[in-house]
Amino acid sequence: MNLTSNVANQVQLKNTSKTAKFFKEVRKQKFLLLLMLPGMIWYIFFKYLPLLGLSLAFTDYGFRPKVSFIGLENFKRLFSSTSFLIAFKNTLIISFLNIVFYFPLPIILALLMNELVSLKIKRAVQFVVYIPYFFSWVIVGSVFATMLSPSSGIVNEVIKAFGYDPVFFMADPRWFRIILVGSYIWRNVGYGTVIYVATLSTVDSTLYDAATVDGAGYWGKMLNVTLPGIRSTIATMLLLNISHVLNVFEQVLVMYNAAVYSVSDVLMTYSFREGLLNSNIGYAISISLFTSVISLILVMGTNKFSEKFLDESIL
Amino acid sequence: MFRTQDDLSRRIFVICNFLMLTLVSVIVLLPLWNIMITSVAQDKDVLAGAYLLVPKSFTLKAYTRIFNSGYIKSFYNSIGVGVIGTIFSMAITIPMAFSLAQKNLVARKFFMGFVVITLMFDAGMIPLYVVVKNLHLINTYASLVLPVAMSSFNLIVMKNFMTSIPESLIESARLDGCNDARILISIVLPVSIPIIAAITLFYFVNYWNKYFEVVMFINDNKKQTIQILLRTLIFEPDSAVSGGEGVYNNTKMAVMMMGMLPVMVLYPFIQKYFVSGLMLGSIKG
Repeated sequence: MNLTSNVANQVQLKNTSKTAKFFKEVRKQKFLLLLMLPGMIWYIFFKYLPLLGLSLAFTDYGFRPKVSFIGLENFKRLFSSTSFLIAFKNTLIISFLNIVFYFPLPIILALLMNELVSLKIKRAVQFVVYIPYFFSWVIVGSVFATMLSPSSGIVNEVIKAFGYDPVFFMADPRWFRIILVGSYIWRNVGYGTVIYVATLSTVDSTLYDAATVDGAGYWGKMLNVTLPGIRSTIATMLLLNISHVLNVFEQVLVMYNAAVYSVSDVLMTYSFREGLLNSNIGYAISISLFTSVISLILVMGTNKFSEKFLDESIL
Repeated sequence: MFRTQDDLSRRIFVICNFLMLTLVSVIVLLPLWNIMITSVAQDKDVLAGAYLLVPKSFTLKAYTRIFNSGYIKSFYNSIGVGVIGTIFSMAITIPMAFSLAQKNLVARKFFMGFVVITLMFDAGMIPLYVVVKNLHLINTYASLVLPVAMSSFNLIVMKNFMTSIPESLIESARLDGCNDARILISIVLPVSIPIIAAITLFYFVNYWNKYFEVVMFINDNKKQTIQILLRTLIFEPDSAVSGGEGVYNNTKMAVMMMGMLPVMVLYPFIQKYFVSGLMLGSIKG
């Protein structure tokens, strides 16, 4: 009895000395902590308060004076709404097309650029293809709208030169998704390429020499040296792409119009319109909550897949 | 025999490869060239029909027209928000990065977790809108700066750079009796100039390119930015902001050029930092 209380005392003593030490450290480091303060306040206001705001998905918040808790009402409405289902479908289709057509391109381009002997040309190509990545979606959308304009766009001039009628691409549901994917590629292909080129330059050149000694041909080296060398980058890029799958947004918001809503309205644009134009804040947040949860599952799933089949954990 | 055939196929490959990469470059550059020459064309040339690859005239009339119209206000707004925003962003990012880079910082793990969690869980735009609305920031220039002032990515990159500064440099300063403030100002900042330059550029371009935040937070036409003006001119040409129908193509393209201008001017510097791998590897670890 006596012994245990003694031990407890000691533990307590140790704890108080620990907290005392902690506060002593805090006092000693008050300058460092002061430097953190503005940033921490920013994080609380603009990152953590919005996270708390996600709970509004369970209310009928819409700038009416009274807000009441309505449980899963918003989600029930969500899953029975045709607009939501169309938006979900469009999001999946557009993201799928983006991944299938965009994803391999930077790898191919980087491999081609790696074959260039002249460093100058390699730098020049890299310099050029990387430009559009720094343009906003408004600029990229405007570039495409200008090039595809039925009256003065370069594409339609070519079509007319072959004797066909001009196509109003931006308002044609059959073309719109292709334009979205095309502009996605135009803007982002340089970014991916630069990353792969940088990774390729880190592949140990003695491995190539060893492969040559072993009698490996061009494709043998590609398969046994180059691709394993960029494997982890491929996995990381895939994960990044997949984590953005449901977040197609600004591109569509800039480029779409009423004529192509049926093929281009995505989850985020739907949430944007519901929240800001119709003031259905609670409902709009339930859409983003749904999106976040699915994204998280996708990311975890991809990471599992990558761990299992590529021996690379990304997270 | 075998060898020459190998050489031949190699030569064909090299030529095809070169052509292929040239084609890719042309696809990127051609639209930009078209936009540039249209922006300096005379009105009669852009009205005469398609204006494509060969410039027919050179005049800065479209640009003077912009400077004499309401359009220029949105250009100035973008510059103002970009400059003030970037200064503000750096003013909160540098000190926080410096503190996080100190290995003996109390509760360092907690603070890092506080930052990293926001990279994984993002509430999205509508909750942010609710916060901005409740802070009564709607329709203020502050709403274009505050909600997007900090980037966790930039913060972590800068912190990692500052962590990599040799310990001995800081230790010897401490032995000379320097306190944390002195170490920050006379040792860490001068050494960190490359990363500070890079992140300044990133912040500026980020502010300049903002679009949907502006749509969300601003509905006063006088406070619009150039991105909003450009979007309206190109996609809703007959709306009130555009000034009704009949805006000449050269004027539209001149606005687009002005929208690209800062990015094009800063691009060589930005791409230098990115290509050197400064940003790529540094986010890990």
